[in-house]
Parts: sequence; C-alpha cells; structure tokens
Amino acid sequence: MKAFRARRGVAVAELDPEERAVVARIVADVGLLLGGEVFGMEDATWASETPEDLLEYLTNLEAHLAEPDDPAILRLLPNAAPTDREVADEFRRYTEPDLRELKVARLRRLWSQLSEDGPRWEVVADEAMETAAALTDVRLVLASRLGIETDADAERLHADVGVAQQAAVGGIVPDRERIWLGMLYEALTWLQDSLVAFVMGEEDDDE
Amino acid sequence: MSTDPATGGSTSVADRLDDAWVTIVWNDPVNLMSYVTHVFQSYFGWTRAKAERKMREVHEQGRSVVSTGGREHMEVDVQAMHGYGLWATMQRSGE
Repeated sequence: MKAFRARRGVAVAELDPEERAVVARIVADVGLLLGGEVFGMEDATWASETPEDLLEYLTNLEAHLAEPDDPAILRLLPNAAPTDREVADEFRRYTEPDLRELKVARLRRLWSQLSEDGPRWEVVADEAMETAAALTDVRLVLASRLGIETDADAERLHADVGVAQQAAVGGIVPDRERIWLGMLYEALTWLQDSLVAFVMGEEDDDE
Repeated sequence: MSTDPATGGSTSVADRLDDAWVTIVWNDPVNLMSYVTHVFQSYFGWTRAKAERKMREVHEQGRSVVSTGGREHMEVDVQAMHGYGLWATMQRSGE
C-alpha cells in the first residue's frame, strides 16, 4: 500500500488487489449500514422494482427516523441537541434522510473508484474532500466497533497493533479480530491523512 | 478526550431568543486534526490560521463554539458538520 501523492494535480495511492478488495468491502458495508442498496447491484435493483418494493423503501425510511440503536450509526448521524429532545427529534426528522443520501452517494463513488482495474487509486482534486469525508464515515464505524471513544483508546489500539505486528512474526496474535480491524482502521487513517495533505498542498499552490 | 454533551446546564425559557443559539463541535478520537482544519476552512470560509486555532480549541478543550445565530441557521451548520463526520451539536447560548 502506498499513500496518496500528487501526480499532475491528481491524488494517486496504490493498493494491491487484496487491500483494494478489503477496503471496497468495508465501504460497501458502511453503505448498507446507512440503508443504501448493495453497491454494484443498482441496475438489477431498478429493473426489478415493483410498487411493493417502493412501499418497503418507505417503511425503511420511517424505521430509520427513530434515534438509531446501533452506536455506529449514531456516530454517523449523531444527536444534534442532547440537552433538548424536541430540537433533537426535529433536527433528525428534517435532516436525516438527506444526510443518509449524501453519505451513501459518497461511499458509492468511493466504492466505484476502488472497483476500477489496476493498482492505482486515483482521486481528482474536486473529489478529494468528499473522498476524505467518506473515509471518515468508514473510520467512524470501525472506531465504534473497536470501542474507540477517547484519544487514549485510539493510542492503546495503535500500541496493540504495533505489538501484534511484532508478535505476528512469531506466530500467535491474541484477539485477531480486534487487531485485524485495528490494522484496517490505521491503514484508512494513514490514507485519509495523505489525501487531506494533498488537498491542502493543492490550495497552497493556488495561493 | 471523552466529552459528554449531555451534562450541559439547565434550560432557561428566558433564553428563547432567535439569535441566541450556538453550534458546538466536540473533540472525538477519530477525526484527523488536518481534516477538521480543512473542513472549518472550506465550510466557514476561515483562514488557515483561524481554522487551526479553532481545531486546537476542540482538541485541547474538548469543544469549541463554531457559529452563533438563529436556530434554523444552526441547524444548517450542524447538518453540514454531520455531513463531514464531525461531532456537532446545537443549543441555546448560555446553556
């Protein structure tokens, strides 16, 4: 894996096929979590759409409007007014469908970038911030699953991943799932950081 | 830093003025400092220096008031921050 670097005004990272498949998969999973369709199946979905399907969409929409139980979704769509239930509920009612749509659309574009052939992951300057925002959403979900609530939690994960990578040479890694998700989280952090550095570098060039 | 916005103060009916709302961005362990700075710059139109100062306030003090105004205006700002994945809330100013 190579972080994003500027090449003729385009941000270019490199991922091998396995890394690409893993990142595309978690991106698609977060899209599903937000109530999006299965990425890559859009055409089939539209072709088979019946009035019953449309009604189900409405049911889904209504189900989504209550405060989410899943802490990961609550991190993507936080309570906007913890001190005022009425304000919080009204905010959710008016903004949540648009926020879900925005996030799912952004994740879908990210997924498409990753589904192209070849090791290079190219992001044009105009789409760099929305790609960085989609990466944030994926990292928020991973962080929630990993129980990262404080800066200290994030530092502990970083240390544990480091220790596990050393131990992996010897063979036995405790709590493989946490370490594996933690490595994915840290890789996405590193990629996002390089992408934001690209965005800021572009701006410095413009000034 | 874990910061619980639910521990805010009491609600005063007298504070229900239209221009008496604030948008607060809270520290979280996921968002990158560079990313938050750039979101502040591009959304609020701040200079890099001001955006960095406000980002540091979030990071070091746990929260920062990023805008003030009427309730509807604050709803727009909070929605934008949530769009970027930042943890933002709104409340009446002085709460």
